Amino acid sequence: MQDNVHHHDPARDGSSDATPGGMPDKRRPGELTFTVLLVVFSGALLWNAYGISGFEALSGAGSVPMATAAVMLVSALVVLWQTAKRARTEDETVMQDITPPLVIIFALFLVAYGILLRPLGFLPTSALFLIASIKLLSKRGWGFTLAVSLGSLILIYLVFRIVFTVLMPAGIVPEAEMLQLFRNLFSGGA
Amino acid sequence: MDAFMAFLTVFTQPELLLLVGLGTFAGVYVGAIPGLSVTMAVSILISFTFSWDVLPAISLMIGIYMGGVYGGSRTAILLNIPGAPSAIATAMDGYPMAQRGEAGEAIGTTTVMSFFGGLVGIVVLALLAPVVSDFALTFQPRDYMLIAILGILLVGSLSSGSLVKGIFAGAFGIAIGAVGMDPLTFTERFTFDIPLMRGGINFIAVMIGMFGVSEALMQLHHVDTPAIRQKISRIVPSFGTIRKHLPLSLQTSTLGVLIGALPGTGGDIAALMAYDHAKRVTKKPSRPFGEGAIEGLVAPETANNAAVGGAFIPMMTLGIPGDAVTAIMIGALFIHGLNPGPMLMVEQPDMFWFVVGALVTANFFMLLFGLTGIKLFTRIVEMPRPVLIPLILLLSIVGAYAVNTSITDVYWMLGFGIVGYFMRHYGYPLGPVILGVILSRLLDDNWRRAIISEREDLGRFFHGIVTSPLSLTLLVAVILIFVSQTPLWTRFRKKETTAK
Repeated sequence: MQDNVHHHDPARDGSSDATPGGMPDKRRPGELTFTVLLVVFSGALLWNAYGISGFEALSGAGSVPMATAAVMLVSALVVLWQTAKRARTEDETVMQDITPPLVIIFALFLVAYGILLRPLGFLPTSALFLIASIKLLSKRGWGFTLAVSLGSLILIYLVFRIVFTVLMPAGIVPEAEMLQLFRNLFSGGA
Repeated sequence: MDAFMAFLTVFTQPELLLLVGLGTFAGVYVGAIPGLSVTMAVSILISFTFSWDVLPAISLMIGIYMGGVYGGSRTAILLNIPGAPSAIATAMDGYPMAQRGEAGEAIGTTTVMSFFGGLVGIVVLALLAPVVSDFALTFQPRDYMLIAILGILLVGSLSSGSLVKGIFAGAFGIAIGAVGMDPLTFTERFTFDIPLMRGGINFIAVMIGMFGVSEALMQLHHVDTPAIRQKISRIVPSFGTIRKHLPLSLQTSTLGVLIGALPGTGGDIAALMAYDHAKRVTKKPSRPFGEGAIEGLVAPETANNAAVGGAFIPMMTLGIPGDAVTAIMIGALFIHGLNPGPMLMVEQPDMFWFVVGALVTANFFMLLFGLTGIKLFTRIVEMPRPVLIPLILLLSIVGAYAVNTSITDVYWMLGFGIVGYFMRHYGYPLGPVILGVILSRLLDDNWRRAIISEREDLGRFFHGIVTSPLSLTLLVAVILIFVSQTPLWTRFRKKETTAK
């Protein structure tokens, strides 16, 4: 699957505020659409901000939201103008460089994780997610995939559930009963 | 004496000492693994430690911060892949040194220089913060408002990208911060009549999405890049090397701490500017810059660690983050019921001195871990991306969920992860978004306070600004930053240069 990922200049992908990515003199694929979406979004936000308190008072609840949305709209329009002026880069395509299949698949995996987390519970959902993604990315055998996925899941569970006491949805796994069983075993042995 | 005792807290409580050590150790590795940034680690961590007491939580975060800023240099030198953004400049001369078989010397020098820079940053923080804090007590609401705008603008202007994209990102952050019920009038803002949005958007979900998820998705582009193994020889640098570069390191540390102290600018920008400074002031580098000059390592490494102490100055004295990590720490302090700003320094100076003590400890741990355990380091850094990426994503989800045990936060995080992913592709800096979210409330509250105190009269408001030296200075700074980035100014500068 990763063979579909095209290798371009990594400097185009932002890694920090010192190197925010993009291309200064060319337009990357999809950039114009993204900028148009930003303009539309900023416009909608400005309309909504106007509805908060209109121009009734400078100290009104809507004054900062209105000013902010106006700044967003103006800057998005400037970016749109600058983006439209630049010639499109010829060595990149959306499907290879911006949203390769792997990225789309992972975005879908994440959405599926979010949907399944509550009904299934943390342990089964995470196990499914890790197994599917490690298998897909590593292209290794099932033995490696299952060992690494389940091993890491147990480690994460022990660290975050037991040490950090983070509560995660139990779902279909009788987690509380299992933990109690372990506690009884240890206290029984003591 | 109280201050001194607070400073010593870390040393007297083994649990805290252990957490700083553990944090620093983890930070060195987190920073070293390409695809794991300190900002991401701390933003995920905050959601797991918010049920802790404040001191252990801060100890762990400070350790990770200090270690992480340093850790990025390792992979920059060994693999030409900066583990953290603050090590981008380090790769320019560090990797050529490694190619010549001098990886050990390069790592040793960066370790000692990072320690030196870190120490300079902490000393400046300890000396300057109480002064700034006293001064900050005289600030008017309009000054806070201007500082907030200045901070957001600075990130955009100092980054190598376009200012207008930086401004958009900052305003976007402020808008995100405004979502929910207005605390003064209980009016709904940007909720689009959706009940779920009345509670606002959790800033931790925004941070984890922007830094964690987007980074992991970005790493999918490089998933099949194999790990490269390196052999490392002697690590501890000679005293002669250190002594020879002491003057330069002092200059770049000072530069680093100053840039770190500017609201919104972090170690990555400090390192690049220090590298540029070293290129200009070094008449006879050990080798040409870019071909393995040791000065090219000394400058960014001292500066990025000095920036850590610097970043705490506006955070502790004004409640304005120096960089993305301190933005997250402000969030942590809020969660623990503390309110960073000048009043924190007055009411709870112990907290400040505790932070200074923890930073000093983390700096010493960094030196220790930096000069030892290199074999373990190479093993961990070789962790394959096919395993690393799913783990980062899982931790991001767990982290976002854990804050409020809310699935809505997970959706927000995923949404911002995807938005952040596109923003990175198209050259929008992410730092201003986070700064905007954090500073949104400060900006809003202080604007309204300022304009109410001027009886809703814009004329009186501007009169107040021009008659106050501080407000005027801040306004001029805001205007200068803005004007200096406009095409008109660039053309004017070009003409000036050609005329000369």
